[in-house]
Amino acid sequence: MNKDYYIFKSGRMRRKNNTFYFIDKEENKKSLPVHQMENIYVFGKVDFNTDFLNMLTQHNVRIHFYNYYGFYNGTYYPRSRQVSGFTVVNQSNHYLNEVKRQYLAKQFVSSSAFHMLRNLRNHKNYDEVASIMESMQSHLDLLDNVQRIPEIMGVEGTIRQLYYASFNYILPAEFAFDERTKRPPKDPLNAIISFGNSICYTTVLTEIYKTHLDPTVSFLHEPSTKRFSLSLDIAEIFKPLLVDAVIFALLNRKQIKTSDFEYLEDMVILNDSGKKKFIKEWNGKLETTIKHRRLKRNVSYKYFIRLECYKLIKHFIGDQQYKPLKAWW
Amino acid sequence: MFVIITYDVGEKRVGKICKKLKEYLTWSQNSVFEGEITKTLLLQCLNEIESIINPDVDSIYVYEVRNPNHMKKTAYGVEKSFDDIFL
Repeated sequence: MNKDYYIFKSGRMRRKNNTFYFIDKEENKKSLPVHQMENIYVFGKVDFNTDFLNMLTQHNVRIHFYNYYGFYNGTYYPRSRQVSGFTVVNQSNHYLNEVKRQYLAKQFVSSSAFHMLRNLRNHKNYDEVASIMESMQSHLDLLDNVQRIPEIMGVEGTIRQLYYASFNYILPAEFAFDERTKRPPKDPLNAIISFGNSICYTTVLTEIYKTHLDPTVSFLHEPSTKRFSLSLDIAEIFKPLLVDAVIFALLNRKQIKTSDFEYLEDMVILNDSGKKKFIKEWNGKLETTIKHRRLKRNVSYKYFIRLECYKLIKHFIGDQQYKPLKAWW
Repeated sequence: MFVIITYDVGEKRVGKICKKLKEYLTWSQNSVFEGEITKTLLLQCLNEIESIINPDVDSIYVYEVRNPNHMKKTAYGVEKSFDDIFL
């Protein structure tokens, strides 16, 4: 229901008449309904003052910043009203206890791999894809035997590498790639994957903020000081389910073409029209609903992310053991 | 649900109503607002508007579309403002 706004132009965001106004360089004013707002994504150059930030806090709106290349820079998030020391202490306990941490890390990886295999399911008719799926499955089986976190990460890494190798068979030829390259992405497919993943992280982060979870204490990824690593953990589950599905749809329908990319020295990024196409499809995906088996009502993909957070809280406080989402439809 | 709100109020109150509605919906034409809104928010909005208007002379119309599939909007001439998530 609540809307996200994406600012690509340069201009000024301000508080006026108790709502938000965006004023672009040509002095065109546009009012944005504050009561309906959930997130603002800033891709352009925008200035604002503390009045505006105060208003964001009042209405619990988050603002995410991306740099010129479309890489995530940071978030201004309102003073959290959802604090629960009890949950945080228990969450940290699950990090500190090696056995408990491994359990969670393995759950994230297994769900992620499950969704990757699910994506490839429809492409089994290619022999190459079928054999890749087999070796992914055999690596997934190794998960039961490994113990240490770096080993779990290793299993995850190999599965993902195999998975990306299968992309060459299921995507149009002009988007073929040799290997996954990040920082910077070196070809169009890498660019769109990178952009999609960073949008996914912020979506997950937004949902985490609505719960009692602490976004910095993570299990599969090492909680580092620079990133909200819990959102990386949860995003593992949703990246194949959401980001890759959107990429497949956009590329196979030929909606995103090679002209939607910007070729810079040594790197490739999506240009504004490409970003807009991706975001439009992404928003549509998040709003898509599925009938939930236990809740017995239609639940959007976005809400599935929040349900994942709630399940984790229940696990932390010892209410119900965490079972990750495995898409059953 | 999708709503269209039109208003015809005394000159003094036009600005006030317009500003209030801008917090909730998208301004599509002079004295016309439209957009997706929840029931609760709509009630809250109308409550606030009721305290601004003079019920003896002013009028506010609210058109509700429960199922957005049943709505088709065609613009002739210039489409002044359309609801866009990209700025």
